[in-house]
Amino acid sequence: MLATLGATLVKELQLLRRDPRVIVRLILLPVAFITLFGAAFKGLDDKPAAKPVIVWVDPQAAAGARVVAAIDASLQFHAVAAASADQVRSQVADETYAVGLVIPRDFAPTRGGAKAELVIDTGKPRSELDALQAPLTAIVTRAVIGGWSVEVVTAVAPPGVRKPMGGATAFQITVPGNAVLFGFFIAVTCALSFSEERRSGTWRRLLSTPVAPWLLLVAKLAPYVALGTLQVALLFAIGVFGFGMQIGGSIAALAVLSVGVALAATTLGLLIAAVSSSEKQVSSLGTVAVLIMGLLGGCMLPRPLMPHTLQQIGLFVPHGWALDGYNMLLVRDGAGFADVARPILAVYGFAAAFLLAGLRRFRFDQ
Amino acid sequence: MGVVLALEGLAKKFGDRVAVAEVDLTVQRGEILGLLGPNGAGKTTTISMTCGVLPPSAGTARIAGHDIRTEKAAAKRALGLVPQDLALYEDLSARQNLRFFGQLYGVRGAELDARTAWALGVAGLVDRADEIVKKFSGGMKRRLNLVASLIHKPMLLILDEPTVGVDPQSRRHIFDAIRALRGDGMTVVYTSHYIEEIEELCDRVAIMDAGRIVASGTIAELTQHRGGGLEIELEGDEAQLAAAAAAVAAQGVARDGAVLRFARPEAWTPIVSALEASGARIARIGAQPADLETVFLALTGRGLRDA
Repeated sequence: MLATLGATLVKELQLLRRDPRVIVRLILLPVAFITLFGAAFKGLDDKPAAKPVIVWVDPQAAAGARVVAAIDASLQFHAVAAASADQVRSQVADETYAVGLVIPRDFAPTRGGAKAELVIDTGKPRSELDALQAPLTAIVTRAVIGGWSVEVVTAVAPPGVRKPMGGATAFQITVPGNAVLFGFFIAVTCALSFSEERRSGTWRRLLSTPVAPWLLLVAKLAPYVALGTLQVALLFAIGVFGFGMQIGGSIAALAVLSVGVALAATTLGLLIAAVSSSEKQVSSLGTVAVLIMGLLGGCMLPRPLMPHTLQQIGLFVPHGWALDGYNMLLVRDGAGFADVARPILAVYGFAAAFLLAGLRRFRFDQ
Repeated sequence: MGVVLALEGLAKKFGDRVAVAEVDLTVQRGEILGLLGPNGAGKTTTISMTCGVLPPSAGTARIAGHDIRTEKAAAKRALGLVPQDLALYEDLSARQNLRFFGQLYGVRGAELDARTAWALGVAGLVDRADEIVKKFSGGMKRRLNLVASLIHKPMLLILDEPTVGVDPQSRRHIFDAIRALRGDGMTVVYTSHYIEEIEELCDRVAIMDAGRIVASGTIAELTQHRGGGLEIELEGDEAQLAAAAAAVAAQGVARDGAVLRFARPEAWTPIVSALEASGARIARIGAQPADLETVFLALTGRGLRDA
């Protein structure tokens, strides 16, 4: 049995070595994507700069100076003085500033006086609007009621949640994202290999040998699991040594999760081969399936940045679970098997489901 | 001589369609059996069941005494299949192909080296052993396709249309190799559409049609017992000849210029009467020379087979 597996592994690797498309699809493209996405997400590494708020304070307004001081002290915003209330409105209208503040003469909201005017395009997306309106409202309120320098709330992680490690970069996101996205392209390579065996008649020849059909299938799939694991390992190595990505958690857990990803990708390849009747069908169905699954799973856009419903849908594909696991292992100090047990079980569960569905549809005698 | 291949009531149904209906056949050691039949006769399905590629619906095949249903590995080890397709890895070299298939039969180490060298010699590919198959001509691929099935020294070699698309030199090379293998005691089952190949190569012929063996025996036995039918030569212009042929077409008579041929000599009286009634002038009535093609057409008909 081991000899059959060995002979098939050597044969598949010899075939893959002669196909330059495989190297492009499995290694060169993901490295290019990691680099590009890394550059695109680079801003996420840096501490956000204080946003400018254009402010006009009526010289007669009693609390005006406190409001400006509170804005500057917030570190989130800094006040830019305007010459008039109209200048605030016009410069927000022409998008010189995203937000402005007008403090009128009789500004005294707690005593029934006038309110401050937050000048903002209320047609902005909700998330953008909230990111400006909520903190500025809080800052102005605290400036008015006093005690703005006193912290009344402090953030504390609940017990059992690992602390994020320091020095994480955008590559903590783009390396696993692209490793999973392109790791699943093994499915297409594997399915194409089945189609080629059938088209050329070698599958029929293999079936006429004394090797049991189930062993032929295992021997056919095993090289792709090995290749997929190697691919993910290589991309992580490029991330660590080429882009300075750090791994905060257990390497052993990372390896087990990566084998699961390769297993799920390969068994998905079996399923694609089983439901396709030609190489053309494998190529089109496989590529579309892998890309859509990658998109939903958060390989291109991290799931936390997606709307809630899409975030949940992402858990219906193995990519979403795999990335949850990688995220835990890459950015949480000391994360181990217990922390990624659910993602690992989910990824292996998908592999088992793809295998069973593939076996159900796979025709050995065709 | 012992029986190397025995098909016992071998049958295959796909849904309600009977592809092979209870075929019984034996092939002796050292014999070359030609399996002949029109498209869709059931030859490839029979071969697939014999090689364990398709499970039979009923019956079984015994190869060197091993039942393909219950002793699959032993039965398969005793046979080599040369598929109709060029079932080779085109991106591997000839040597890599042979070594891979050899390993699947459990051939290892020095024996694998020796068998690979021998197979390359039989295929006439010693000088091209390390080139990838993609660069080979059709004939070279066919020769490699043949020897890839010999790497484990099978007792029974089954060839499914092994000479499709090859040049005369490669065909001759393949025939010489098959004869040499038979000389070494190998048993061969050879299927082909080319009747002249069967006539040249085979000791015995089994003719299949509609999933059944409709005749089997040596070529001499088949042509003697089945006869060659009769032929009637007519006189007249094209219009008269066409009218005469039309008058007897329903009785299985085929026209070839001024000659009408039919396979069933016992039916000659009504045919001659019908010709005379149509006004045809008969110049000669004689026995049709018997050959394998005549027998084949007589048994399987002249209708086109597209499946």
